[in-house]
Amino acid sequence: MLLDYDRLGFWRWILVAIGVVVMLFLLLPILFIAALSFGDSQWLVFPPPGWTLQWYEQLLTDPVWLNSLFTSAKVAVIVTVLSVVLGLLAALGLARSKFFGKSALQAFFLTPMVLPVVVLAVALYAFFLKLGLTGTLTGFVIGHLIIALPFSIITIGNSLQSFDPALEDAAMICGAGPLEVKWRVTLPAIRLGMFAAAIFSFLISWDEVVLSIFMASPTLQTLPVLIWSTLRQDLTPVIAAASTLLVAFTIVLMLLASLLKKGTRS
Amino acid sequence: MSTALSSTTVPVRRRFKLGPGARGIKLLIPVLLLLAVFFLVPVLALLLRSIMEPVPGLQNYVELLGSQTYVRVFFNTFMVAGVVTLITLLVGFPTAWLLAIMPKRWSQVMFAILLLSMWTNLLARTYAWMVLLQQTGLVNRVLMAIGVIDEPLTLVNNLIGVTIGMTYIMLPFLVLPLHATLRAIDPSTLRAAAICGASRWQALRLVLLPLALPGIASGALMVFVMSLGYYVTPALLGGTGYMMLAELIAQLVQSLLNWGLAGAAAFVLLVVTLGLYAVQLRYLGGGRSGMGDR
Amino acid sequence: MTTPFLQIRGLRKTYDQVVAIDHVSLDIKQGEFMTFLGPSGSGKSTTLYIVAGFQEPTEGQVLLNGKSLLDVAPNQRNIGMVFQRYTLFPHLTVGENVAFPLRVRRRPEAEIKAKVDKMLELVHLGGYRDRLPGQMSGGQQQRVAIARALAYDPPLLLMDEPLSALDKKLREEIQFELRRIHQETGVTILYVTHDQEEALRLSDRIAVFSQGKIEQVGTGEELYERPTSRFVAGFIGNSNFLPVKVEKLGSGRARAVFPNGQAVEGDASAFASGSDGTLMVRPEQMRIRPGTAVGQELAVTVRDMTYLGDSMHFAVQTPWNQELAVRMAVRDGQGLCIGSSAVLEWDTQHGHVFA
Repeated sequence: MLLDYDRLGFWRWILVAIGVVVMLFLLLPILFIAALSFGDSQWLVFPPPGWTLQWYEQLLTDPVWLNSLFTSAKVAVIVTVLSVVLGLLAALGLARSKFFGKSALQAFFLTPMVLPVVVLAVALYAFFLKLGLTGTLTGFVIGHLIIALPFSIITIGNSLQSFDPALEDAAMICGAGPLEVKWRVTLPAIRLGMFAAAIFSFLISWDEVVLSIFMASPTLQTLPVLIWSTLRQDLTPVIAAASTLLVAFTIVLMLLASLLKKGTRS
Repeated sequence: MSTALSSTTVPVRRRFKLGPGARGIKLLIPVLLLLAVFFLVPVLALLLRSIMEPVPGLQNYVELLGSQTYVRVFFNTFMVAGVVTLITLLVGFPTAWLLAIMPKRWSQVMFAILLLSMWTNLLARTYAWMVLLQQTGLVNRVLMAIGVIDEPLTLVNNLIGVTIGMTYIMLPFLVLPLHATLRAIDPSTLRAAAICGASRWQALRLVLLPLALPGIASGALMVFVMSLGYYVTPALLGGTGYMMLAELIAQLVQSLLNWGLAGAAAFVLLVVTLGLYAVQLRYLGGGRSGMGDR
Repeated sequence: MTTPFLQIRGLRKTYDQVVAIDHVSLDIKQGEFMTFLGPSGSGKSTTLYIVAGFQEPTEGQVLLNGKSLLDVAPNQRNIGMVFQRYTLFPHLTVGENVAFPLRVRRRPEAEIKAKVDKMLELVHLGGYRDRLPGQMSGGQQQRVAIARALAYDPPLLLMDEPLSALDKKLREEIQFELRRIHQETGVTILYVTHDQEEALRLSDRIAVFSQGKIEQVGTGEELYERPTSRFVAGFIGNSNFLPVKVEKLGSGRARAVFPNGQAVEGDASAFASGSDGTLMVRPEQMRIRPGTAVGQELAVTVRDMTYLGDSMHFAVQTPWNQELAVRMAVRDGQGLCIGSSAVLEWDTQHGHVFA
């Protein structure tokens, strides 16, 4: 009865009340920011006295913001490609091999995911100082790649698990070469997993703050780093505009992912 | 005979099978190298500095655990993580419960909100709370308007702000896995409890909670561990007066260039984090963890 | 006449536009083993769930000892129930599962212990008190569920296809146990199943459900020998259905005319009106003998014969090319072989005419 929605009695209304409050708690701040980004109050008065697009105008005409946006996109795209390729190799390797210590290695591959990012950030910062990689695109890419990879490996690994390796053998018996088998049989079967890994990797890199703060230099910074350093000084509505654009972008990616999921199901 | 070496000793098989053996292992090398060089080495090097700088010895750990200031940071960190975990559980459990049983059309809406919140840029969400919670912010104005308070409360640059912001961020990480646990429980079991004579409270206490316990425990542990190592939200909502561990590590490196002490603090955070995850794997049978602050 | 123990009065349940059950009424005597039999979706489980309190009827009433059950919450109804899946509490031992209903009733510890021992004895699981449900077979788990449902001496025990998840041998074993438990405890049982053999084996009376309605209520024998509808005749036991034109003769009899023009008399007490109908005859009530038909005798051809040990099964073809099943004792089938002509006959009281 406790798990029958229709037969919960007045408990149902308690649950619904809590649920509604939680959903509002999760949703309202996002809507609030979106509303403020169109408000004309410098002091973020809500509800805004009037409406304006000036914060977006400031954002999109300021070369510093535009540069950081460009850097973010560049880093995210490179990270996405590398993360999917390397994640695919690792997932295939883990799925198709058996050796002593495999589970330990698997755990090692996933550690960057559970490690507090600040520890990794500080460690990499020290390391990159020695190598001269701080403030470089390479530095950003390596840092983001390390924390995106576990998600790629897991997502692609999951889709490989539901793929029957006997199909590969069957294709080989039909006369396909090893590479041709991978290209024509394995990859198409796990392409959904790879696509999910790509979206994950992109979003992780695109949203990454902590590592980026340590990798950034005054001349090379990603969008989150710029938001971060601006936020430490004041709460300008320009950030509301930037945040709203980020939310809109996230929604687009989510819709894309769910459309793709629907498309493959039917 | 499908160990790493078997295919090199039985070369005939390789003509037929891509499968087990050295071939699979070769695929692991690029990631292994990348993580060894850019993950394992830097982290170990940082930890090494904690016992090597400025001079070899354990003085960094003595300082970290002996000084009032740093003990205060540890206290803040564990307290905030604990309170956030508790609040998240108290509101997250009913939410996950509702999500698990309500008609699909509504649960889909809830899912969309949870996912949107989870995937919205962390800074955007933190910024929202900075604006909402400030002296002249909406929360204070609403509270004053309905007469709960007479003058604005200080909700940012202290642990209240951090707790609110962290709860906001952690909720989806608890609700989503817990919902899966609750979905896996057969509703007939609860019907059986009812027909056996159990009141709602008795059914909740004697059946539903015990059955959901693995999910509750691993979800709570995950939220707790993630909260311990969070940097962005505590730094922005807590201010410098109320520092947490992750912020301390960053400060020690960025402002004080005290690498030894930073390494020691990182080591403590690392041990607690990985230790708690090990507990989870050992006793709660895994359960996928979420994401750090990114 | 005293009030019946359990009265189900005009129950109706609709979901949106779909009618799940439609005016189901039934009286059940104390100590009776009553089975709801029907295909899935016929409304038998819905009726049971309304009695249990898991669903609310759109209309109608359920009375236990003359008092309405509908306003009573399931946990206050004091009814026992065994579910299709075992639904034991997986985190509690067998003993704790059986003790659960007593614990929530806050009975003294000594009484609980004695009762658990007694119930586990009843289902022959004396040594399993400290096992967890996950460590037991399906049959054992279902016995624990029965013990749990009876632990608080409920006057009424509901069983929702309790044996459908078990294999055939185990099912028969527990059916036997159920009869014994029913006799030993004298509890009134409402039992839901889609298995006619199970219904016949267990029940005092059977209510046959079809499309949300009760088609017929009666003992197994009544349902088998005197079905009142084509559905009941088809659902219980094997039957041959012959297409006929019906001419009513009065006093519950009718003349049934086959497609080839030959006619027989049959029992038409369940036939309302009209001219198109079906004549039902059980395979074991039909006989065939070698030879050519003369006069009104029905000529058939043997198409197939199967030796079944205790009987012979024949497939015979009628002049209008319908295949019928005939079952006879082995010695009565002498002289017949595949392809031979034969004469088909049955006693007229075994022919039932339905719409």
